Amino acid sequence: MKKCTVFILAALMLVGLMPALWATAAEEEAEGPVELVIPHYKAGQNVGGKFFLPQVERFNTMYEGEYHIVIEELPQDGYMAKMKQLAQQGQLPALIEGADNQWFEDVMIANDRVYDLGPWLNSHQEIKSVLIDDALSFNTVDGAVVSLPQAVTRPIGLFYNETMYDPGKRIGEMTFDEFADSLGRNKIAFMTSENAWTTGLFLTGLIVAEPGGAAMLRAGLEDKVYDYTGPIWLRATTRLQGFIRESGSANTLGAAYADAANAFMSKSAAVIANGPWMVNDFTPSSSDKWSGGFNGNQVRGDIYPGNSAIANVMGYRWWIPASTPEPEREAALAFLEFMMQPEELEAYMIAEGGTAPKLQVSQSFLEQQAQDRVLSDLATAVNADTTFTVAVYDAMPQSIANEEFGKLLPKLLDGSFTPAEFLEALSKKAEETRM
Amino acid sequence: MKLDKLGRKNLPWVYLFILPSVVVFLTFYLLPIVTVFVTSLTRWDGYNPPTFQGFRNYSLLLSRSVFLISLRNLLWWSLIAGTLHVGFGVLVAFLFSRRPVGWKAVRTVYMIPNVISGAAWAMIYRFIFNNDFGLLNGMIRVFAPGFNVKWLFQSPYAFWAVTLTWLFYAVIITLIVHADLMSIPAELHEAAHIDGATGLQIAWRIDLPLCRFSIGTSVILSITSRIAMYEAVALTTRGGPGDDTMNIPIILVNAITDMNYGYANAAAVSMFVLGIVTLVLVNWLFRMNRRVY
Repeated sequence: MKKCTVFILAALMLVGLMPALWATAAEEEAEGPVELVIPHYKAGQNVGGKFFLPQVERFNTMYEGEYHIVIEELPQDGYMAKMKQLAQQGQLPALIEGADNQWFEDVMIANDRVYDLGPWLNSHQEIKSVLIDDALSFNTVDGAVVSLPQAVTRPIGLFYNETMYDPGKRIGEMTFDEFADSLGRNKIAFMTSENAWTTGLFLTGLIVAEPGGAAMLRAGLEDKVYDYTGPIWLRATTRLQGFIRESGSANTLGAAYADAANAFMSKSAAVIANGPWMVNDFTPSSSDKWSGGFNGNQVRGDIYPGNSAIANVMGYRWWIPASTPEPEREAALAFLEFMMQPEELEAYMIAEGGTAPKLQVSQSFLEQQAQDRVLSDLATAVNADTTFTVAVYDAMPQSIANEEFGKLLPKLLDGSFTPAEFLEALSKKAEETRM
Repeated sequence: MKLDKLGRKNLPWVYLFILPSVVVFLTFYLLPIVTVFVTSLTRWDGYNPPTFQGFRNYSLLLSRSVFLISLRNLLWWSLIAGTLHVGFGVLVAFLFSRRPVGWKAVRTVYMIPNVISGAAWAMIYRFIFNNDFGLLNGMIRVFAPGFNVKWLFQSPYAFWAVTLTWLFYAVIITLIVHADLMSIPAELHEAAHIDGATGLQIAWRIDLPLCRFSIGTSVILSITSRIAMYEAVALTTRGGPGDDTMNIPIILVNAITDMNYGYANAAAVSMFVLGIVTLVLVNWLFRMNRRVY
């Protein structure tokens, strides 16, 4: 009798759960705005969130009652790994920004798991007309447009504090030797943790300064580089080691991005290599990040010695998984359309810098851009002879770029590895990623 | 053994109540374990169907220095876990069992770290070990002003810095051993006292041997936690500098990032095997198949 009672009670508990399940199903069918939950790193304290989150809010306001986007915060260096995991589970969100090229091509494109944006672009000629040709060509695979090509290119260079460092002339016009001499006792905000982003950008500049360096990196965009023991890498890495040891900020060993940015924005370092999105940190609204007498209006922008800048339009940007249900896909496309409006593109360039070569910009935009001295510096630093290059990260396999490069750098800095040993270890790691 | 009438009558109920556990075990434990074993013999990117390639993933794993370094690190961490970590937990349990003044307050404070996640602890330790403003170097600089060590990013300190992130958090061990100590019959202690044994002699010759099972269990828990330790490494050093603090879970996750699921599962199988070896060894060392009382 007791057992019967226990069994009936257990059955009743199970039945009790059913309304909750029905309620969930009913909620899914309920009328209301289509909600997109998009995990993204441009949130919270991430510098990219300063423009992106208000942009999402503008979209939500414009499409109130129809679509609603919720941003779920993710750490930047784990973003792509998370997307890969979600892809394997068939749980990808409706919009993803960027991709590990190798994975995207071998898995997502090869298995028709990416929504073709071609027909949508053809029906939105006003968007298609502003896309950069190289970007559109790169993103067109077997006639399908696999991700939204870029309309804006943002040359990545460096920033310096003019109250600490007076280069005397444009840094882009210098050689790296002249740059080293002009630095004096000033420090550069390098990183040796996470993916060592600022250090990797500086290394890119050093590689491009070597004969054949830019072409080698460019080739690595399509066929990743697995062997880093060649003379270009060796010379560039030897110079990098010299810069890090002679001019690296005091916190370089173990510095993550936040530490490097903090070194620059506390006047512990006079120079930092980074992209124009960092100008957000130099506006008065970010003054809570400043210390040691730093002020955003002390910052100037330039490109790398040897007249090079990093600008890669040949990458995958926003894309929609093919499995996305129709209502969510419509919402995702509406967001892409919203982002590509001329006024949004202009707002983006004002906030994070860059140029849209095929967009007819407004007069007010030009006036606003001219008022921002750092963005103006970057825009005028490039000339017809500037070498635009891809970053070392684009030429390396994913785990080498994101993990091993940063993990091995402390050994280069503390002298445990010579540059040759460092590159040999990195090559060995890269070779191991080939299965 | 023959069942009596009542037993036979109850048999369907027994099976009925066992059934959910069996289903859960088969679905969430056995099936994934079998899948891991099978796919470790394949080349698999996680999306396309796996292709059988024999023991290639294992030969690759064993031929790579990073795996051997991970094994060496695991051996050291296991030794430290089995001796210092468990030893500390047991020592605290023995102190609590003596119920000194204020032991309840100390016990509460001692338990607090256990409610903080491993990931949060790893982040806290990044600050504690920070060279510029970290608590540890700040304290050391009171006595040695020029002291300058970046614990998590310099060899050989990184290994010890990672070790310190878990070394003194032995709450579970303390709880297990303390419960065992509390169950020792009071008559044994009374008899020992009558025979003139000191407190230390009682602890060494009576309590410690009688806690053999719980200490053995603690050693198993502690070492298997080291085999599966991920957050403490991933959120502090990510296995660096170089490969100084690499371990097998980091190899596994990196392989997943590179879409080498077969290789990742070979690493998972090696963790499984190491866990079984630990279980067998500790069972044998602590004679856990023999009765205590």
